[in-house]
Amino acid sequence: MTDLAGALREPWPDLRMQREGVGLGMWFFLASEVLFFGALICAYAVYRSFNAEAFRIAGEHSEIVYGSANTVLLLTSSLTMTIALRAATVRWRALTLACLAITAALGIAFLVCKGLEYREDLREHLFPGPNFPLSPPAAQMFWGFYWIMTGIHALHLTAGIGVVLVVFVLFERRVIPVQGATMEGVAIYWHFVDSVWIVLFPLLYLAGRS
Amino acid sequence: MSDGDNSGRRLWLGPSAAWLALLVLFAASLGSAYLPLGAGSVALNLAIAAVMLAVLTTFLMDLRNSAVITRIVAAAGLLWMIIMFSLTFADYLSRSY
Repeated sequence: MTDLAGALREPWPDLRMQREGVGLGMWFFLASEVLFFGALICAYAVYRSFNAEAFRIAGEHSEIVYGSANTVLLLTSSLTMTIALRAATVRWRALTLACLAITAALGIAFLVCKGLEYREDLREHLFPGPNFPLSPPAAQMFWGFYWIMTGIHALHLTAGIGVVLVVFVLFERRVIPVQGATMEGVAIYWHFVDSVWIVLFPLLYLAGRS
Repeated sequence: MSDGDNSGRRLWLGPSAAWLALLVLFAASLGSAYLPLGAGSVALNLAIAAVMLAVLTTFLMDLRNSAVITRIVAAAGLLWMIIMFSLTFADYLSRSY
């Protein structure tokens, strides 16, 4: 009973409605995030439609192995995040904590992979500006989008990992109970970061493979 | 104990099936990118990405069981993006240069 009293906040009559409220708030935020990433993807689509050949040539040089490994890492982290949420809902504290830890570890593995990939890209001077190795010049636009899109995505993921770690500590120290609405918001945000990558992957890694 | 095992299995079963479906779709997308499909390649890759997003939002983000108002907000994000793409391309694709 004390646990439930700690989990339930004003003005909610029960936990189900509280979770719905948090979920709805997070979806409102994500709708604005959809437009933020949507504007970037729209700009990419416009430039690609006018420079198809340049984007094909530029796309051949992105690191498909790192990109694919990162896709599997993020998809798997979405699975563990879902299990964490479901375990929290039925008050299975140990499983919630374990899955949160695995999710954060998978997110960190993604960032490490991304760092190694960036190192390879920089070694090949694939950064728009002087000494850019590819022609035609429009190939630089693809790589401009690559750095901006993957950079902003990595920032979002870093924020997600930070939130997951903070929530893990709060649950672990029993500052907040696992079955409250916290996990709802965390999980929806995490899945959104995954969903952005699902769109970025074909745009940045699969162009010009055939 | 067997009750605990059952609830554990229930907890994992649905999300694991969605995760497997996502991995299969990802493999299909990756494999098809190497086929000589020309302009069809990007269309196929984006179509697969759209199916992946549908699986992720329906089963892992659990829009399937969400309140109607939540689904409306999620759909609003999609709707505004469609409007943005439509207006942008209506401009660029109808220019005479």
